[in-house]
Amino acid sequence: MSKPKFVYVTYIAAAPEKVWQALTKPDMTEQYWFGYRVAADGKAGDRMTAFSPAGKQAHDDPILESDPPRKLVYAWQPLHKDMAGERPSRVTFELEPFKDQTRLTVVHDEFDEGSKIFGMISKGWPAVLSSLKSFLETGRGLQPSWDEDAAKRAAAEA
Amino acid sequence: MSKPTFVYVTYIRSTADKVWAALTEPEFTAKTWFGARHETEWKPGAAWRLILQDGRVADAGEIVEIDKPRRLVLKWRNEKPELKEEGWSRCTIEIESAADNAVKLTVTHEANGPKLIEAVSGSWPRILSNIKSLLETGELVLENKIQ
Repeated sequence: MSKPKFVYVTYIAAAPEKVWQALTKPDMTEQYWFGYRVAADGKAGDRMTAFSPAGKQAHDDPILESDPPRKLVYAWQPLHKDMAGERPSRVTFELEPFKDQTRLTVVHDEFDEGSKIFGMISKGWPAVLSSLKSFLETGRGLQPSWDEDAAKRAAAEA
Repeated sequence: MSKPTFVYVTYIRSTADKVWAALTEPEFTAKTWFGARHETEWKPGAAWRLILQDGRVADAGEIVEIDKPRRLVLKWRNEKPELKEEGWSRCTIEIESAADNAVKLTVTHEANGPKLIEAVSGSWPRILSNIKSLLETGELVLENKIQ
């Protein structure tokens, strides 16, 4: 039995440098990532932090690899009490230039079998990455209200 | 043991009717599906073929279920020899309303072997990225050809 692994590929009409900024700068993430402020612009060994729209800290995880604007790897262990008790998983972003555009591959792995978090991220990433693509191509992300789970989660943390 | 399955979800700021058209109508698929077009009568039991620009048949099968603009199920076989031998797959396309004037598009492709899953894991993200860009911005994200 293989361990849970989430893979998502999306093509975005923006340069890798722009996609990198959107993934790592909190002023950018809050415009498309359910309002969350995610900071991941440090070096390997620095922290990736995320704060909910209500200001509650959702992540404080190590950055494992950072090679702007090509590859970013960080650990993923949500601080939310409903998601405690699982070991850290791992998120890998690979940004490949294609003319002026970017092929973005997100791999989220290193889950234990039966992980509850795996089920949540499998719903969450397509929503976040769809919103990211809209944000970079149209200037406007998709609103958090269109993902009920995210809305409930945000409400629970408020 | 469950079958090898590829699942892709994308949210598109558009309507179900427009997303359905982008997936099925030749003037859209010529742009979003790398020049290919569907050849079918779009009713349950009807034969279905995906024809490339040069006239080759890329995929063939049958319409299993159709509920425009919400749900389409295709019996699907890629006609390349090394993929054809894996036999029939099943592709389910679902379009649901979402808030913020968006729709949730889910493509689930269940195969009998790993080769088709590998092939569709490459092609579906390209096609669906193109459809999202075209409907939201009027522009494609990828060139109109098979990469």
